[in-house]
Amino acid sequence: MAEKDITLTVNGTDHELRVESRKLLVHAIREDLDLTGTHIGCDTGNCGACTVYKDGEAVKSCLLFAVQADGSEITTVEGMEDQPEAGMGNSDLHPIQEGFHEMHGLQCGYCTPGMIMAGKALLEENDDPTEHEIRENISGNLCRCTGYQNIVKSIEYAADVLNDREPPESPVEHEGASMETAPDGGVETDGGCTGPDLTREYPGGDQE
Amino acid sequence: MKAAQFEHHEPTTVEEAVSLIESLDEPTILAGGQSLVPMMRFRLARPETVVDLNGIDELDYLQEADGYLKLGALARHADVEESSLIDRQYGSFADTAPLVADPQIRNRGTVVGSIAQSDPKGDWGTVLLAHEGEVVAHGPGGERTIPADEFFLLPYDNTLAEDELITEVRVPTSGDDEGSAYHKLKRKVGDYAMAGSAARVVLDGGRITDATVALTAVDITNVSVPDAADHLEGERPSGDLFKQAGELAAEHANPESDEHGSAEYKRNMVRVLTQRALADATERASNDGPAARYGTDQMAVGD
Ligand SMILES: Cc1cc2nc3c(=O)[nH]c(=O)nc-3n(C[C@H](O)[C@H](O)[C@H](O)COP(=O)(O)OP(=O)(O)OC[C@H]3O[C@@H](n4cnc5c(N)ncnc54)[C@H](O)[C@@H]3O)c2cc1C
Ligand code: FES
Ligand code: FES
Repeated sequence: MAEKDITLTVNGTDHELRVESRKLLVHAIREDLDLTGTHIGCDTGNCGACTVYKDGEAVKSCLLFAVQADGSEITTVEGMEDQPEAGMGNSDLHPIQEGFHEMHGLQCGYCTPGMIMAGKALLEENDDPTEHEIRENISGNLCRCTGYQNIVKSIEYAADVLNDREPPESPVEHEGASMETAPDGGVETDGGCTGPDLTREYPGGDQE
Repeated sequence: MKAAQFEHHEPTTVEEAVSLIESLDEPTILAGGQSLVPMMRFRLARPETVVDLNGIDELDYLQEADGYLKLGALARHADVEESSLIDRQYGSFADTAPLVADPQIRNRGTVVGSIAQSDPKGDWGTVLLAHEGEVVAHGPGGERTIPADEFFLLPYDNTLAEDELITEVRVPTSGDDEGSAYHKLKRKVGDYAMAGSAARVVLDGGRITDATVALTAVDITNVSVPDAADHLEGERPSGDLFKQAGELAAEHANPESDEHGSAEYKRNMVRVLTQRALADATERASNDGPAARYGTDQMAVGD
């Protein structure tokens, strides 16, 4: 009785769904469409982990019933690699995704899909935002891990790519980075502090 | 938790919405959903039927007409934030919009929904009071207007009848000699106010001919401060005058101590916020230009 047939266009694909009116959009995306990149981090609308890009703007998909999204076009983090900007940087990824990878914009990664979608909404409106504008635009997205610094840098990296500027080099050890890195991924300082030696052997570490 | 089961209705005209609300058993109105959806998930609200306004295009407007600035029930916080009319003429609205919640919530939440929510911590009720605005309600008997100072009753309670919906809130148009501002104290970006103060002044020949002050989060509803208004009217604007008005606002405030601060602290902040709002309102009344150019940039605070 309290069910409805709806159509959602998610990442370019039309989906016809029968949903209870009370089903949240985030649950339709995760459970019915099996797109679990969109996360749920709270019950209150505070955390932003569920942010998706709907009809040209960022919304929290836990604050919307799926029936309210009938007929709308939605992009989730899974669709980022198919956006026209994907591949503009040094990989097949969308420049925002590449930014998070290169600039160490995530630790546990829980907030990342929401951060990426909030970042997309910002860059769609303004592809060269100031640091202040970036911070303003991710103010509805909480991160417990990073302290936000590298998230801001990740979105700045994407803006560099979109504006044909050379993005900064990744601080993280990987192919192509010229910086000398210590075994823990940090940079060696004059004091010779290299952080823990991750190659050392641990007692019982050779057990198969 | 999941919301309880409900039936979702999507009228496309105000007329249809009014007759649905009349015929259904205790329906609840859904606008931006940014307060209602969490309330339904916590089952603080368990409506059996929901009348969703989002398909009623005729309610999606923000415009000046007939001597009023009018906001239809689907004008979102973000629409206010992006409006150049607001930026030029309505400083308090321009201050408030970016201080409500966060960008995602501002894309969906509506000004009218906030006023209907009647949360004493909500920001828009204070702005409506400071502009001596009105709520336009539609019910089976037709249309009626409710002055802002007769609208709010208790936390989450107002004088709207069960079978009415708000189609519009409006405030008298702001002339070039009028200025307004809103100052908000919050724990961190995106939070509800610990205290807030809106001020509006009209200047003529260097004197204040009309003034209002209203407060957020320091009483059981958003409240205006008639004593402060009386004290300001007829006077020349000055730092001393604003300090006295701020003190009157602080006396009028009735804050409660909580985990964010003591009642004394909040009362003192009411004084400070009111002084600042009056100073910004006066600066905007004496200058023409975007709100951001005159007055305090509160978005820069805390960077
Ligand atoms: C994390 C978070 C932070 C927030 N921070 C702030 C803040 O700092 N300041 C602030 O002011 N608000 C804040 N809010 C609330 C936000 O502004 C909401 O948008 C607003 O309170 C309700 O507007 P809405 O359009 O979303 O209404 P809804 O959630 O759809 O409805 C709210 C209530 O009003 C009723 N209603 C809505 N529209 C009408 C109408 N046209 N006629 C009659 N009744 C109606 C509904 O039935 C319901 O009872 C926050 C919300 C969240 C989730
Ligand atoms: S899950 Fe939507 S805001 Fe936290
Ligand atoms: S990376 Fe862990 S919450 Fe942001």
